[in-house]
Amino acid sequence: MDVTRTLVRGAVIACAALGLACGPRPGTGPANGAGITLTYWPAPNPQEIQLADTLVRIWNTLHPEIHVDMQPIPVSISTEEVLLAAIAGKTTPDVCSNIWPGALHDYTQAGGLVRLDAFPDFDSVMAARTPRELLEQFRAGDGHFYEVPWKTNPVMMIYNRRLLREAGVDTVPATYGAYLAAGARVAAHAYPQGAGSVWMGERDVRPLWWQKFFDFFPFYIAASGGKTLFTGGKATFDDSSAAEVMGFFRDCYARGYFPRTFFPGHDPFLLEEKATHFSGPWEVASIRKFAPQMDFGVAPIPVPDGHRGPVYTYGDYKNISIFSTTAHRREAWEFVKFLVEARHDLLLLRICDQIPVRGDLLDNPLFARYFQENPPMVAFARQAVYTRNMDNVPDMKEILDAIAQEYESCAVYGRVPPAVAVRDAVRRTNLIMEWDK
Amino acid sequence: MTGPRSLVRRLAAGDRTAYWFVLPYAVFFCAFVAYPLVFSFILVFHRWNVVTPMEWIGLKNFDRLIGDGLFYRSLLNTLTFLVIHIPLQAAVALGLALLLNTAIRGRGFFRAIYFLPVVVSGVAVTILWQQLYSYDNGVLNAILRAAGLGRVPWLVDPSMAMPSIAIMATWKNVGIYIVLFLVGLQNIPRELYEAAALDGARPAAQFRHITLPMLNPTIVVIIVLSTIGGFSLFIEPYVLTGGGPMQSTLSGMLYIYNQAFSFDHMGYAATLGFVYALVILAVVMLQRRVIDTELTP
Repeated sequence: MDVTRTLVRGAVIACAALGLACGPRPGTGPANGAGITLTYWPAPNPQEIQLADTLVRIWNTLHPEIHVDMQPIPVSISTEEVLLAAIAGKTTPDVCSNIWPGALHDYTQAGGLVRLDAFPDFDSVMAARTPRELLEQFRAGDGHFYEVPWKTNPVMMIYNRRLLREAGVDTVPATYGAYLAAGARVAAHAYPQGAGSVWMGERDVRPLWWQKFFDFFPFYIAASGGKTLFTGGKATFDDSSAAEVMGFFRDCYARGYFPRTFFPGHDPFLLEEKATHFSGPWEVASIRKFAPQMDFGVAPIPVPDGHRGPVYTYGDYKNISIFSTTAHRREAWEFVKFLVEARHDLLLLRICDQIPVRGDLLDNPLFARYFQENPPMVAFARQAVYTRNMDNVPDMKEILDAIAQEYESCAVYGRVPPAVAVRDAVRRTNLIMEWDK
Repeated sequence: MTGPRSLVRRLAAGDRTAYWFVLPYAVFFCAFVAYPLVFSFILVFHRWNVVTPMEWIGLKNFDRLIGDGLFYRSLLNTLTFLVIHIPLQAAVALGLALLLNTAIRGRGFFRAIYFLPVVVSGVAVTILWQQLYSYDNGVLNAILRAAGLGRVPWLVDPSMAMPSIAIMATWKNVGIYIVLFLVGLQNIPRELYEAAALDGARPAAQFRHITLPMLNPTIVVIIVLSTIGGFSLFIEPYVLTGGGPMQSTLSGMLYIYNQAFSFDHMGYAATLGFVYALVILAVVMLQRRVIDTELTP
């Protein structure tokens, strides 16, 4: 029958076209028939793509028998979604350098990652680079290591010297009391009539879980002297430190030092519309690019009055892992070791302005020139050893969402007292944990 | 002669050509409707985060749903949106359709303009309204300030956020309802108006006693479509507010999305989806009953 033949022919042509479209692309195979090819996914931002491109070129020159293909992580709402989908579809790369420790539980539970401490030289490689106390934060629940701590972006307070100076603030506020006093001065100077466009600080008021990396979570770590949300797998943040943090942000909003809004499409700090900003070292590159005239400094985030000891913060780590789909574990491990060599950590600093997880950043002569040329980065390097990792528990995103909801009710809109907000956040966290059992 | 009987006879006779014509839609239906529906129903009884194997948990998802305050909140928010959005949408669409049904100059131009937001991407429209609604540097508040009035907390006050989203959704979708009303208006026989005019009926009386009753079928369609569309409220709160302030714009669809794709709770999200489907069914059936009672002459 003619119609049948035509349809069958059309289907065959369509399948052939689909096969061509989905087949291997030129340049993705091994460099030669006998060689090995590894696939490497870096983060998809321009700086890290440039760094990855540079490192892969060096590697491929030095190791013609192990060819590395670099492909930035496919762009999505979050890297974690892409990696989970890739694990589900068994399309993971051999190596990825954008592993968020908060998602590690999901990856390991799915059997997606290679145990790195099974390599005989893991301990010696780590000991040469990362202080033991920092490294221990990355031990998984089963007692093993599945990630190499690669870089950290300690959340700190970046401040606009001109705005503070003009408001009569001579000392960088280090405590809640000093911060609120400085906020009063900035408010009085910037908008004596009551409504103006310069703020002491600002946070995205939308209840987005990942925004807690820049307010509640680092401030809780700082206020508690280095504690995170969980101890031994149990939520333990129902304490005075958490209430103090909620109370501090509540004061910032209630007194009008923070706006109860968000700024779609523009960054008020880069536009010099706010005096302080809680962010990581990547902000330095943005300031240089978009606000080169800004006179700025970097300091630890404020802590409760009377706080003693070092000020800890959230490290916002991104690490390197090998996926269990790899057919070349040993070669992939060699490539991982190559990525964390000291000279390549220097490239990480130079190209990305992000802090390698090293204990010798300020002592190693290799890095001295970089820090001389980039004084603001010294503060981040000093802070790097006083950082904490995200808790390695399941459903961290929903737990942060629960905190975000309570933060919004208590801090932004002042509808719930701090202690009640913290209690409710812990209660919902326990429900989520219970659900996961 | 061709017809159902002829088709059945041809199929029975072994001519399978018709199967080939049915095949594309059958494949589409199985892949994108039947399979997801069945799979979602299976998920209702499982815990699954996409990467780990599915775990049978019986009715635990329903147990969680019953005690989940955010589920009730999202349901209440969605109903609040519907209560504001449906009358607003119907009134604005009817008003504009009445204007566009008169012999004004540039009628075609205005019809195109009102329909334009319908074909523009929902995300693009939402970002545009984000700029309009921004509290500190939005266009609307700039106009209000220039006029000597105070700023309105469009999206940052819990009591204002959902009405603001309803206004935006009305602007976005009103074009399609204008078209439906225009079709309804143009199907009303002119003789009815002529007879009413001869009897001395003024335009307001003509509208009340002729236009509205004759538009009843259109109004029913619009209310049902608006209800189903309103239950699908997602892009606007997702982009504009993230569900805040204080969960006041957390719609049902946004909550399902968060559970499925932010927190990887596929089983619980499927449970929420099925329960919402039942709620939509109940609301639409209730509406039909009320409309049949109230509007049927």
